[in-house]
Amino acid sequence: MRKYLTRSVALIGAAALLTLGACATEREGAPAADTGAGAAPAKGFAADALIGVALPSKTSENWVLAGDLFTNGLKEAGFTSDVQYAGASTTVADQQAQISAMVTKGAKVIVIGATDAAQLTTQVKQAKEAGATVIAYDRLITNTPDVDYYIAFDNFKVGQLQGQALLDGMKAEKPEGPWTVELFSGSPDDNNSGVFFNGAMDVLQPLIDKGDVVVGSGQTDIKQTAIQGWKAENAQQRMDSLLTSTYNGDKKLDGVLSPNDTLARAIITSVKGAGKDIPVVTGQDSEVESVKSIMAGEQYSTINKDTRKLVAETINMVKSLQAGNEPTINDKDSYDNGQKVVPAYLLPPVIVTKDNAAESYANDPKLAPLTQG
Amino acid sequence: MSRIKDLQKNLFGGTTSNARQFGMIFTLVAIVLLFQIWTDGLTLTSGNLIAVVSQYSYILILAIGMLMVIVAGHIDLSVGSVAAFTGIVVAKAMQEFSLPWPVGILLGLAVGALIGAWQGFWVAYVGVPAFIVTLAGMLLFRGGNQYIGNADTVPVSEGFRTIGAGFLPEVGPNTGYNNLTLLLGLAACAGVIWRELKARQTRREMNADVAPMWISVLRMAVMVGVIVFATLRFAGGRVGTSLPISGIILIVLVLAYSHYTRNTIGGRHIYAVGGNSRAAELSGVKLRRVNFLVMMNMSVLAALAGMIFVARSSASGPQDGLSWELDAIAAVFIGGAAVSGGLGTISGSIVGGLVMALLNNGLQLEGVGSDLVQIIKGLVLLLAVAFDVYNKSQGRFSIIGSLMRPFRRDDPPPPTDRPSPSSDADKAPVAG
Repeated sequence: MRKYLTRSVALIGAAALLTLGACATEREGAPAADTGAGAAPAKGFAADALIGVALPSKTSENWVLAGDLFTNGLKEAGFTSDVQYAGASTTVADQQAQISAMVTKGAKVIVIGATDAAQLTTQVKQAKEAGATVIAYDRLITNTPDVDYYIAFDNFKVGQLQGQALLDGMKAEKPEGPWTVELFSGSPDDNNSGVFFNGAMDVLQPLIDKGDVVVGSGQTDIKQTAIQGWKAENAQQRMDSLLTSTYNGDKKLDGVLSPNDTLARAIITSVKGAGKDIPVVTGQDSEVESVKSIMAGEQYSTINKDTRKLVAETINMVKSLQAGNEPTINDKDSYDNGQKVVPAYLLPPVIVTKDNAAESYANDPKLAPLTQG
Repeated sequence: MSRIKDLQKNLFGGTTSNARQFGMIFTLVAIVLLFQIWTDGLTLTSGNLIAVVSQYSYILILAIGMLMVIVAGHIDLSVGSVAAFTGIVVAKAMQEFSLPWPVGILLGLAVGALIGAWQGFWVAYVGVPAFIVTLAGMLLFRGGNQYIGNADTVPVSEGFRTIGAGFLPEVGPNTGYNNLTLLLGLAACAGVIWRELKARQTRREMNADVAPMWISVLRMAVMVGVIVFATLRFAGGRVGTSLPISGIILIVLVLAYSHYTRNTIGGRHIYAVGGNSRAAELSGVKLRRVNFLVMMNMSVLAALAGMIFVARSSASGPQDGLSWELDAIAAVFIGGAAVSGGLGTISGSIVGGLVMALLNNGLQLEGVGSDLVQIIKGLVLLLAVAFDVYNKSQGRFSIIGSLMRPFRRDDPPPPTDRPSPSSDADKAPVAG
């Protein structure tokens, strides 16, 4: 037993020595670079470096697709990738922990599709201090000076395309104005709602001023047109009351500006319910049901934001960072997150109508079959 | 022979077996070592340890309150919602009335106390089961969060963020470490040694069995070793980091509540109520007051946890607090509390919480997806409690005892006839 004792004491002693020896401080080198004065661009890094990708929970097909594309794309480009989804029930906390873990593992670039864009300040700062480059993917991370780049589809352009599609559609039905329209916009608590709406008004406002386009109800303010929570039922309610208040006689409604597909279908349902002719209705997101509706000649247009392209561009950005180059930026002053104006790379969205649907979705295995015949 | 027995009897401070707790300490060490090797040493780096503490401190704070609730024989499902509700109230109040942040924290604690009083009232004085009251609270306060916050994310001020994302300042000479963290570590070492010597003295004065000196020395050496290691790690992170403020809040709470539940009359009453409420009431314990205070205390801690999370996230959002109650409850059960109440310790729950935290962290470092992490955590919870239930049906045994059995055939087999579970002395938790 004495032997056991001596042995155990020796063991504990050795363990203690080991732990102390392993205690090299991580404070070597100069203190972290000043984050305030325009962080110097990374001078490149190893070609097989770790790239972290933190995405929201797997509840939407779009994110699952993005995750797969990132995993394969980064691998093909020679990087080590770590693609993580937040858990479905604990999204924010999960994403925070995942980003911290990526920082610990020494990721050189962290691409973040935020679950809640305002709740990542601490983690983004941590990443920045550890020398990682942070790219906000699709959703701009707010309230922090530590986001380096933002990559997304050009939402103002989405609005412009919707406005233009509305005009084109109405012209096809009735070559001469004036046209009577109604306007809808997205949820008031979503930053993007205003961007879409302003884009569309950029096209429509001159015609409204000229009198070529008439808003039947006179509701042109974004507060009046907003649909709380992007909810179909709210859009349907608003459309129902517009129909009763403004279009009860034989007054004809020529077009409806709708910011996305869900609302567009709700609007169409409402119009059908009232027994009216379906007006020209715009949309966005290329939802399956809406693509069917377009092919059936009900909804007029939608917008295709190809996730494949967005991911490919993000990976290009990572590649130029790896080579030590400044990545391509095409918008230096529109995206203010409350702390800094984030340099952005914006991709052009594509408008889709019945005419170009087959061509637009040719690469999409899910939507392509819907456009046949 | 006797040395092993001494060791077994004294090293972790108890004679009665507390198998789950021993088991969990070993599991914790095993998990740390496993991931330390698996992640090529990333797990025990300063940066990672600091991240783990600030990520999970709010869950551990909830576990403290939850342990007391569960020991008293109740459950609280509302903690996540209460945390989210408090978070949004505080964030909104600070934003709209530009309150200074310390006032915001006081407001948050007051909101927690009010909510706690509301739930405590229904549980203790009306007699609605806590499960129902807090299920209602879960809906009530989640709805309240969305009603007040408009499902929006509300940012909080820089000062407020200190409690969730803050670190100790860098003061004094450049030692290559965070000096204040070093001082805290030193104080902790002194505290451990003082406590050990004091305990020996007390036992001697009471003519009780005093553990052999070498056991005390060994125990002190192990604890001091762990503290020194942790201190150097936390002090040796990137400049500007240290032991997180939220970690310090957690440590203070753990020490205070451990003392309360172990060494004060009020604390022991909770165990008495949970063990056998009838007997406790007959022997003069004010049943209603104990229940009321336990529920109220839980909500205050939930409010604090909510504020720490908001501070760390720098904003209060509609998804705060989702399924925190489950994490806290899991920590408590993994840490050795009994489902029927009356058993469990604060330190056990903290160990249970750390097991979950390090498991989570290690798997994330390995890049395991959150789907698999959830599956693994679920299995760990199930196995930990199944282990406990199995032990009970077999009569108690200690892990150490079973490991040592081959070496001591002369000993009688472990007793199979357990005394009835309501005997309070038997239930008294012992590990430190």
